[in-house]
Formats: sequence, C-alpha cells, structure tokens
Amino acid sequence: MKTRIILFFSVIILLTGCTDFLKTDPQGQLIEASFPVSSSDALLATTAVYAAVRNWYYNSGGYPILDIMSDDAYKGSNKNDQLATVGAYDNFTFNTTGDGLDRWWATLYQGIKWANVVIEKVPDISMDTTLRNRYLGEARFMRGLFYFDLVRAWGGVPKVTASIPPLHLGRANSKEIYSLIVSDLQYAETHLTKKSELISSDKGRATAGAAEALLAKVYLFQKDFVNAEKYALKVIQSNEYSLEPWFIDANGVNGNNGVESIFEVGALGVEDYNGGGAQYANTQGVRGSPNRGWGFNRPSIDLRKSFEPGDTRLKGTIIDLGDTIDGVFIKGDPDPANDPVITLNQNGDTINIQCYNRKVWTPGNDTPTQWAHHRRLIRYADVLLMAAEALNENGKQTDALTYLNQVRKRARGGNILILPDVTITDKNLLRDKILLERRHELALEGERFWDLVRTGKAATVLGPLGFVPGKHELLPIHQSEIDISQGSLTQNPDY
Amino acid sequence: MKKLVLFFISQVILLPVFSQQSVKGKITDDKNVPVAGASVQVKNTLRGTFSEIDGGFIIVASSNDTLVFSMLGMATQKIPVSDRTTINVKMLEESKELNEVVVIGYGTVKKSDLTGSVASIKSVDLTKITSLNPEQGLQGKVAGVQVTSSSGAPGAIPSILIRGVGTFNNSAPIFVVDGIILDNISFLNSQDIESMNILKDASATAIYGSRGANGVILVTTKTGQKGQGKATFNYSGEYSRQILQKKIDLLSGRDYATVVNEITPTYNNVDLVPNTNWQSLVFHPASIQSHQLSASGATDLTQYYVSLGYFKQDGIVDKSNYERVTFKLNNTYFLTKNIKVSNFLSITPYKQQNAPNVTYSAYRARPDLVPYNQDGGFAEVLNVGNPLADLAYSNDYNKGVRGVGNIFAEATILKSFKVKTSYGIDAGYNQATSFTPAYFVSPQQQNLLNTLNKGNSHSIAWLWENTLSFSKQSGLHFLDVVAGYTMQKTSSENFSVTGKNIIRTSPDFWYLNQSYIYDPTNGVNTLNSISNGVDANLNFSMVSYLFRANYTYNSKYILTATFRRDGSSKFSSTNRYGNFPSFAAGWVVSREHFMEKFPLISNLKVRGSWGMTGNDKIGYLSQYSITQNLVTVLGNPASANSAITYSVSGNPNLKWESTTQTDAGLEIGLIKNKLTGEFDYYNRLTKDILIALSTPDYLGNGQGAQESFNAASVKNTGFEGKLTWKDKIGQVGYSVSILGSSIRNRVLKVGGSSGIDSILYGGFLSSGIPVTQSRVGLPIGAFYGYKTNGVFQSTDELNANPHLSTAVPGDLRLVDVNNDGKIDGNDRTYLGSPIPKYTLGFNIGADYKGFDLSIDIQGVYGNKIFNAKEIVRPDPYNWEKHVLGAWTGPGTSNSEPRATYGGNNYLPSDKFVQDGSFTRLRNVTLGFTLPSSITNKIAISQLRFYVKGSNIYTISRFTGYTPEIGGSNVISNNIDFGTYPVSSVYSFGINLTF
Repeated sequence: MKTRIILFFSVIILLTGCTDFLKTDPQGQLIEASFPVSSSDALLATTAVYAAVRNWYYNSGGYPILDIMSDDAYKGSNKNDQLATVGAYDNFTFNTTGDGLDRWWATLYQGIKWANVVIEKVPDISMDTTLRNRYLGEARFMRGLFYFDLVRAWGGVPKVTASIPPLHLGRANSKEIYSLIVSDLQYAETHLTKKSELISSDKGRATAGAAEALLAKVYLFQKDFVNAEKYALKVIQSNEYSLEPWFIDANGVNGNNGVESIFEVGALGVEDYNGGGAQYANTQGVRGSPNRGWGFNRPSIDLRKSFEPGDTRLKGTIIDLGDTIDGVFIKGDPDPANDPVITLNQNGDTINIQCYNRKVWTPGNDTPTQWAHHRRLIRYADVLLMAAEALNENGKQTDALTYLNQVRKRARGGNILILPDVTITDKNLLRDKILLERRHELALEGERFWDLVRTGKAATVLGPLGFVPGKHELLPIHQSEIDISQGSLTQNPDY
Repeated sequence: MKKLVLFFISQVILLPVFSQQSVKGKITDDKNVPVAGASVQVKNTLRGTFSEIDGGFIIVASSNDTLVFSMLGMATQKIPVSDRTTINVKMLEESKELNEVVVIGYGTVKKSDLTGSVASIKSVDLTKITSLNPEQGLQGKVAGVQVTSSSGAPGAIPSILIRGVGTFNNSAPIFVVDGIILDNISFLNSQDIESMNILKDASATAIYGSRGANGVILVTTKTGQKGQGKATFNYSGEYSRQILQKKIDLLSGRDYATVVNEITPTYNNVDLVPNTNWQSLVFHPASIQSHQLSASGATDLTQYYVSLGYFKQDGIVDKSNYERVTFKLNNTYFLTKNIKVSNFLSITPYKQQNAPNVTYSAYRARPDLVPYNQDGGFAEVLNVGNPLADLAYSNDYNKGVRGVGNIFAEATILKSFKVKTSYGIDAGYNQATSFTPAYFVSPQQQNLLNTLNKGNSHSIAWLWENTLSFSKQSGLHFLDVVAGYTMQKTSSENFSVTGKNIIRTSPDFWYLNQSYIYDPTNGVNTLNSISNGVDANLNFSMVSYLFRANYTYNSKYILTATFRRDGSSKFSSTNRYGNFPSFAAGWVVSREHFMEKFPLISNLKVRGSWGMTGNDKIGYLSQYSITQNLVTVLGNPASANSAITYSVSGNPNLKWESTTQTDAGLEIGLIKNKLTGEFDYYNRLTKDILIALSTPDYLGNGQGAQESFNAASVKNTGFEGKLTWKDKIGQVGYSVSILGSSIRNRVLKVGGSSGIDSILYGGFLSSGIPVTQSRVGLPIGAFYGYKTNGVFQSTDELNANPHLSTAVPGDLRLVDVNNDGKIDGNDRTYLGSPIPKYTLGFNIGADYKGFDLSIDIQGVYGNKIFNAKEIVRPDPYNWEKHVLGAWTGPGTSNSEPRATYGGNNYLPSDKFVQDGSFTRLRNVTLGFTLPSSITNKIAISQLRFYVKGSNIYTISRFTGYTPEIGGSNVISNNIDFGTYPVSSVYSFGINLTF
C-alpha cells in the first residue's frame, strides 16, 4: 500500500513541474510586442494615423474656436447654448480651464502617438522599401501636421517622438518644434507620391504636394518667405492642382478629392465617429429646419460687410434664412426668444443675423448627411495666396499679382464686372490686400485668427473683441495638464 | 457536609505521616475510550508524566498531593491523591465553545489554539434570511463584516466588506468553498452550508497570500456525520412574500402642477390635473418559494450528503425573477484505514429575467401624465419614457449553469504525516437573450425593427492543491505544520451578436438564423455588433507555495507563523512573485495557575498578529500596451478602411499591492462561559494599490486616459467586539449578543509623482460630473461638491456675496470655501463619507419548550448617501416632496431653493448628501417544534414550523427606498442612482427531519 501511495503522489509532483505556466499571452488582443510586424500591419498602422483628423476634437477641441476668436465669426447656435464655455472664445474671457483646449491638445498628441507608432516600428519590418518609405512619409507628414497646430496654438510644447514616451516631460521651445516639423515634412516630400499617382481608393492619403503646401505654410509662419515661396511654387509648378471652377465646390461635395484639394479629411454620412462620420460640419450645421446641426460659428456682420460687391464668395460662405440650397429651403431655428432672425442694438444697428457656415454644407436635409462633409485642411487657393504673399515679401510683386488674381478670377464666377484684377505693386498695400483676400477666400476655415497673429495685426483687429497682445497670441495649456505634470509644464504668459 | 468535615479532620490528623507512593490509573473519555498522551502532573511540582496508548499512567505522589490531569480539548481535572494508589479518571470534553474546531485555511484548529481573528457562523444563522445568497446571513452577525445589498433585483449579489475598504480595486473578500477559491458563492444553497468562517486578520488570511488582503470567507458544506449510522432525510420548504418597504415621497399630479405654475404658469386648474402614482404601478408584492430535500449518513466506509434544492424568486418589479436548482453531492470514501477520497460537488442551473431600470423612470416620470391612452395603448411620458411600456417591451434573460466541485485524496503516513491533494473546478456557462419587439410609444420611446441579442460566455477555472501536513503532540508540546504547492488557471470566452427584424416575434423564433433576419429595405440579412473575446479579469494563472506552523505549549502559549509565495501571470516576469508572511502569538491566560483566584473568569485569551497579504484583482492586460481598432475614411468614392494602432500604454512595472495588518485581540468567558466576549483592534495599511490614474495627455493616450500604477495607500483602523450572554431561566433558554465595529478609513497617498494625477474621481453622474474624489486625507470615495449656506433672498444679498454669474434670488448660496471672492470649481469640498463609522448588530434568541424566537437588529452609522437620482435634471421630472417648501420670494425659505427644472441648484452640493445611518429590524423568526413524543409516533425525528420577517422596519432619515445602496466599485459607493429597492420579506416555512 505504501508503495502505491508514494507512486500516486510522485505522479502528482511530476505533473506540477511544467514550465511557462505563468505566461498568459493576451487573447484576441494585439499588443505593442505583436504589432506592427508585417507589411500589412504597417499599412493598418499608417492608415490609423488619419483617423485622428476625423476626430471631432481634432477641430480645435470640437468647436471652431479659431474662427470664433477671429473677426469672422460669433459663437453661434442660440444665445445661451454653450455661452459660458464656447462664448468665452468670442470675447477672450477663456482661462486655463477653457473648454476644449484639453480635448484639442490631447487629440493632437494622440495623432502624434499614432504617427510615432509607424515612425518607430515600421523601419524594423522587412518589407518593400519604397512602400515602407511611403508609409513613413505619410506618418511624418501627419506628425508635422499635428505639431504645427500645437506650436501655433501653444508655442513650445513637449516634444514626443516615441510611441510610448516617458511620463515626465517638460516643454521644448518652439524653434525645436518647428525644426521637427520641417524635417518631418521634408522627409514626407521626398518619399511620398504625387496625388495623381494615388490609386482612387488611396485618395486622401498624404502626398508630396501636401507636404510642400504645408511646408510653405510652416515657413510663412516663421516669416521665412524664401522657403515659403519655394515650396508654394513647387506645388503650383507641379501641375497637380488647379482651382475648382466654382467656389462652392472648393469645400463642397463636388470637390471632394478634387483638383483643388491638397489634403482633406474623408468622412461618411454616418452619425458616428466609429462608423466613419465627421462631426466638424454637424457642429456648424443649420439649426432648426432643416436640422443639420448645432449652428456654431456664425458668420459675423463684419465679415459679411467686408466682401466686395458681387463677390460670389459671400454666398459661398454664408447661408441666410430663406435660402434654398440643393433644393432644401433654409428656415433656420424658429425660436425668436433665443435666436431672433435679426438682432438690433439700442442704436438700431444690426448686431446679429441668424445665419450659418455655407462651407460645411453637404446636400441633404437631415443630420447624418451632414456628417459626410470632407473638411479641407489645405486647398490650392490657399497655396496661391501663400505664394502671392511670399513673392510680395520677396519683392516679386508682379508674380505675386498673377497668383492673387487667379484666386479673384474664380471668385468672380464669370462676371467680369466685379472683383477687378489687383494691380497694386506697393509692398505694404499689397500685403494688406493679400491678407484681405485670404479673409474672403478662407473665411471660416480656421485660418483668419492665425493670419492676424502671424502678421501682427491681431492687436488692432481683435483688440476691440478683447484680444490682449502678448497674451492671446497663444492659448493657455489646460490646467488639468499642468496639474498632472506637477510643475514640469509651465503656463503661457499672463494666464 | 459532615462527611466533608470528617474528611478534612482526617487529613489534618494524618498530615505528618505522608509517604511517597506510586499512583497508577487509567484515563478514559466519556465513552470509555482510552485517552493517550494526557498530561498527569503533581501539582506545584515539576513531576509529571503522560498517559500511554492504553490510557494508563503511573506516577509517584504523596497522599496529600493533588494530581492535575490535562489534555488538549479536555477539561482539566485536579484530583487529590489521598490514600489511593489507583486513580481512574474520566476526562470530559471541555466546554463546547473552547473545544470548537475552527476551519482555517488548509486545515483546522481548536478554537482555543487560534491566534487569528476568525468568526464562525453556523447554518442556523445562514438560513434565517430568505435569500439566494448565503452571504446575506452574515449581515449584522459578524463584527467587522458589512454586507450590503446593492440591489433588490432577484439574482443580485450583495457586496461584502471586511474591516473597511482596503483598496481602490475590487475590495470583496474571496470565498473558499471546501478548499476551492472562488469570487462568489451564488451557486450555493444556504441549506447545504454547515458553517462559514470569516478570516479577518493577517494571521488567518496570509496563508491565502495574494488573494487574502480583503479577507477570506471559508465555507464548509454539509457532510454525513461519522457515527450517524442510519440515513437522515431532511425537507425544508418556505414560502415568502416580498413587499416594498416604503414609497418615496414624490409629488402628486396636483402638487406637481402647482410647482410648475410657480416656474411658468401652465395649468389653469390644478385640480383637474391627472394624478398617476408611478411607484404603485411599477411595484407590487411578489413571492419567493424554496424547497430542499437532503439525505445524509455514514457507514464505516463512507460518509455521504446529497441534496436537491429549488429556489424561485419573483421580483417586486414585473419581468424580474430568478429560478435556481441546486444539486449537492458530498461523499467521502475510506479506501483503507489510512486513505480517504472525497468529492464535493455542486451543480447549479439557473434562469434569470432582468427588468429594465423602471425604478429610476418611475421616480422621474411626471405624475400629471397618464400611463395609457384612451385606446388602451401606452401613453407618451415626456423626457423619461413610459415605465410600463419599458417593462412591457422588455424580454431580457440569462440562463446557465455553474458547476463547482473538487476531488480530494488524503493519506496518513507514519502516523503524524498527512499528504493531501485536491483538484477543483469552477465551470460556468451563461447565455443572455434579449428581445425587443418593434414598437412605437413616442418619438423618444420606440424601436423601429425588432431586435434580438444573444450573448454566450463560459469560464473555467481549476485549482490543484497539494499539501503535506504534520501534527504531533509530544508532552506539553503540540506542533502542527502544513506545507503546500498549488497551481491554478482561469480562462473564459464570450461571444455576442445582434440581429434585427427577426421573421417572427414569438420566443420560439429567438434564434439568430441568418435567413430569418429579414431586412426588406436593404435586401440584405446581416448580423451585427459581433463581439468575441475573453474576460480580462478571468484570464490568468497562478503558482503558490505555502507554509504554516502552529506551535502550542501546554495549551497555554501559542505561536503561529505562515508564509505564502505567489506567482501570477497578471504581472510581468520581473514582478511576478510576491511573498506574504505573518506571525502571531496567543496566550490562554485562564489556564495559568494564578487565574484560579478568579473563578469568575472561565476563559481569557489574548492574541496578537502581524502579517502581509496581497491583492491581484486587476485585469491581466494592464501590464501590456494594447492596440485599438479604428476606421479611416479614404478614397474616391470615400469608403471605410480598417486601421489599427496603439491604445493606452500599459505598465509593465506593475506589482502586487500589499496589505500589512496588525491585530490585537482579547477573548473572554465569564461565569462558566455564560458571558463570552471577543474584542479586536486592527490596523490595515494597504500600499502600492493598483490604481488607474490620469496621465498627461501629451502621452497620446487620449484625453483623460488612465494608466495603472502601484500608486496609492489606504489605512483602515478600528475596533470590533462581540458580547454574548447565554443562560436559562427555568425552561426558557435565551441568548443575547451585541456586536459592533468601528472603521476609520483614510487615503494616505494617491499618485504622488509628476505625470500621475493625485485625485481619483468617481461617482460620475450621467452628465459626466463626478461626485466623489478620493484624495489624501479623505476616505475612499469621499463625496465632493459645493457647500451651501441658505438661499439668496434678494438681489442685494446676491450682489453682496460671491455667487455664480447665472445665480438669481431664490438660488442656493454656494459657500466660497477658498475665500477668493468667486464661486468656481475650486470651492468644491469634502461633503461626507460613504463608509460607515460604526456598524452594530444586536441579536436575541430564546426558546421555551418547543418554541424558539430570534430577533436580529442591525445598524450602520456615520455614513452619507448621495441622492444622485434627484440631481440629473435636464428636463422637467417629478420632484421629491420637499420642493413644496420652495422659496417663492424673500423670507419664504432659507433652505429650499426656488423650484427649477435644472440649473445651478442642481450642481453637486450638500443638498443632495443625506444621512445614510440606519437601524433596522433585520429579522424576527418564531418557530415551533412539535414535541418528539408526538413526532416519534409517526417516525419523524423533528418537525418545526416557523414564521419570519426580514427587513421588517428601517429607521433612517434617507428619503430613498432603502439606505442600503452599495455601489459598482469603492470609489462610486453609496450613490443612489435609482436602484431596485430591497424589499421586506415575510415567510412561512417548515422543516422536517426523518
């Protein structure tokens, strides 16, 4: 019997000696160690970076605060909707807990992380070299795009170049960030294909032209007009792009991935981010009837008045109540208490007109269709105006006028009696003229505020709205981020 | 008496002539079985010996000596030698309390030899409460144990806390059922349980190492009793009615209209407004029935216990019920004299129906709206949805089976050694079916296409434990050692899928047959929302080494040392192993000679322990940086492209959280143990708590993303005690016990270094606002919000004080806590703790002839409840009655603000923090056992009838249904979001043994 007992327990002891028992691999879940490891993984990871720009928060935290801070737009929606939060950007009363600043910052860094996954991991994958370089180029283009928003909005920010960075980081200076952006975009320019070489299912991916256009803008913001001219002209001379014949198509559905589009955000008409929808246009869509959205970013009276007579871009920028667009009658929000059609001040001046952003319009009369809007991040008209601006600064007024007038020509809509060609050759006057042209061409596209800041005109133009020079050129880093960093992140001046 | 005097006289006379002599004798127990190893000592000398195998002893003593006979578990006897040379002694078992064998981890110990804090509950107490969950029987019965019903819904599992909240994670104790480690015991029928032993201090729990930090509840199920001989059959049957304890004071239709008119004149004649009492429509009394039949017995070669139980509970809300069958099979086979093999097996099929949360919608539904239209259809209930329609269209079921069991073999070798091996399995299968027909009540409450969702999940865990134990009494020394090696593995998988527009709506067609999923508009049949994976909490393996030594000297001095080393797959290979030691000592003071001067004290023991335990209740994925799936829209025409990238970064440096607990205890028995008491002081310090905290957004994990760290500390300290008086007055036997505990819970650390948040937010309202903040210096899950100080009476008062920019007269005055002249988020402050400061239990039992009566009272004190169901108000809902006292102009009220549908007065503030203390008549049972003179005639050994009531009456200032709220986790605790109320239960039962 004893032998049998000993045998029995010996068997048990032998059985328990198995190895690796404590290694439980993740089930049905890829982790850092197992992704990306192949050519197809590299594609999945690269494609993922683009998902960041369709995120609602990518658009300055959701609400179009850049336009609301500019002289182009008011908060919008009805009087009280988000008055305390979004309204604060209308009159520069926002502070370090400003609504959306945390969302915007977080989403830009999320995009950077996703780009870093590609930049860090794809070089180790054994795959076709050209394809690998293209993926790296796409990721570096996107990283440059995200950092460009960060550096413009906050200045020197933490420089993150690893997919899993350390917890504790301080702020880099803005020069370091700009040099990272330039090296990313230059790499992208070298390794990306031309737009015309993209197969139709790849339209929307970053191209060499997009990298050049963005480089032109990055240099413009650094007042490096030589390089700005160089890259803007590269785009123009590539013959890859042209203006849409009709202004409304520059941002509209007919121009999706069209000739004028240099880089845009693809979206589907699904009321859900995970289903492919984009909420950018829904945030600004017509309120009431038809019910297309929330109606934020209301075009200002000042913007309305600034257009030259007959400029087709006025109706291409503003939807007024009573308009009929794509067969849809715009009745608007019929709530006179909260959102009258016209608001007058004591003097009888019109200070508010219920109207909406035409540039985000998509055909349809319901909400989901509004989610299909493709936001243009860079379009050819912008490049032409950047070229004009840089050429003017570099003393080449004649060339500058060529590109400026190309933009005006399209704005005429075939009516030769309006918007005459600009012939100014005085550098200062032409500079102002180009800036004004940018306002009319790019209104409500998130450019105006930064144009005013980089040209030093923000204090004059936005001062009456509450802009404080030396403070409001940059946004505050959200308090929660400062708190969590426990002192390693310093706040921007005067906040 | 005379004889005694004579005896003493003779002793005195004979005094000088004592002679040494050999005294011999035989020691037997009350059944005349020889007692070996008993100590025989000559009093006040060092002379002593032990009885032999046959119970015999021989010792040299003089006639005036007194012999002291002592033996573990037996009452010590002192017998004067006198002139005898032969003294035969019958040793009797010591009083029952002390001799009680207590089940501890990996063994048993005599209660008197215990150094740890362990409480025992017997089956009688467990079956007092009519519940699916045996752990309900612990409520108010064990000092330091708090049982809270988080919901009254049939099938809901209560939450248990032992000695406060020791972690931010899952703070529930583990259960060990006949040796199998489990997270819950809802598969067990209370009737099948012999006892529950609650291990509270580290000396008792450290043997469970990484899983013992929140306490251990050892459950022993019934077995046949050796020597029982013939089979015993038992039938228990019970029928109960559940009744809503109280209704919430909400406004009637007329009152509602009156208040609305204050805000905006709306109703011309408030007397014509309909009055719907939604609570009356939603709640109604419901029944519970349970039956159990068991057979048990033993022969020389086997012990057996088999039972079959049935439990069915209908909820007090329609479409909520639970039905369960319990099979229990416990057998032991004695293969040889030295080898036994046992099995403990439970198989529990169940079926559950879940109602939608109509408690909350009935609370909010406007009383001026009627439930039905003229045509009999459901009427629209604005903003909330018609609760009755919610119920009518809900078909939500779970069914499944759980099987738990183990096979156990034990061999005794070389007399003192025992080798044991046990292999246990816990396997569960659950299928969820939810069908919603197509319907239309209102634009807000509709379902366009009928929807069928099916979800399956199964889990299997096995545990293999091998121990070698050694137990030997040698002279006055007793040593008990156990060492072991265990392995376990848990895995699971779930699968769920949804189909819409099923061709027929009857239950016979609630199957996802692709061809029956009919979509006429798109012409395609699709299944969607497919998900498949493992449960991150149920996918791990562990290896453990364990050791315990218990040494007792002369039944007076006790030392215990335990050690466990655990390795878990939840941690990366560098941090995989954790070591958990403990040490304890006990001194049975009452066995010292000097205690003879205090005959009143029949038992006195002091004990102390120190030890470490751990907690590993985190998901297995936390160490990894995982990926996420995204959609990117590309192409012309645009289409969705799949994409994958990294999600939140993991933390490969995670390690065990560890709890260090110190315990000092005192056990006392007075007047022949008529009065017994047990008191403990404990100090539990949990460090390196695994906690998910916000990290900087520049990490790219997304806004507010959290990573797990070992980054918090929590301390729980308190006293607990229990006093019991047991006696008989004439034919009336009675017992009274009172028990209580205090808890002081403090967060000592959260986060703490750059890049990690130092506040943990919890209790998120549906508006996304958190109402709890766990931060240094406060209890876990502390309520956090604005303090109020009256109501603004006028514009002048408003302007003279800090106020919100949108505040108007009639609004609450929020206190400017930081005195910066403005009211903002920085003025939010600590508003109270969800954790009670004190818990109390008071139990009375009495019996007279065939009657037995027991009364249990239970209470918790010093905790707060956040009334969250009142606070989220974007739209007009019904109000609680206090709104009738609302401010309507200067001087009208300085406590109740003006009536509003929402806005400033609904910010999280002390207005919504209520006193959560309560005293409850937990249980009253009256039983009658038929005299055996009658029952014996019909071959019945016992027949008892009883009536009882549970949760009969609760004294509380809380305005909700019941002050027992619970919570989804410790940082969102005691927040009433409108939970399914716990009802009063009245029962009639019968217990028959034959």
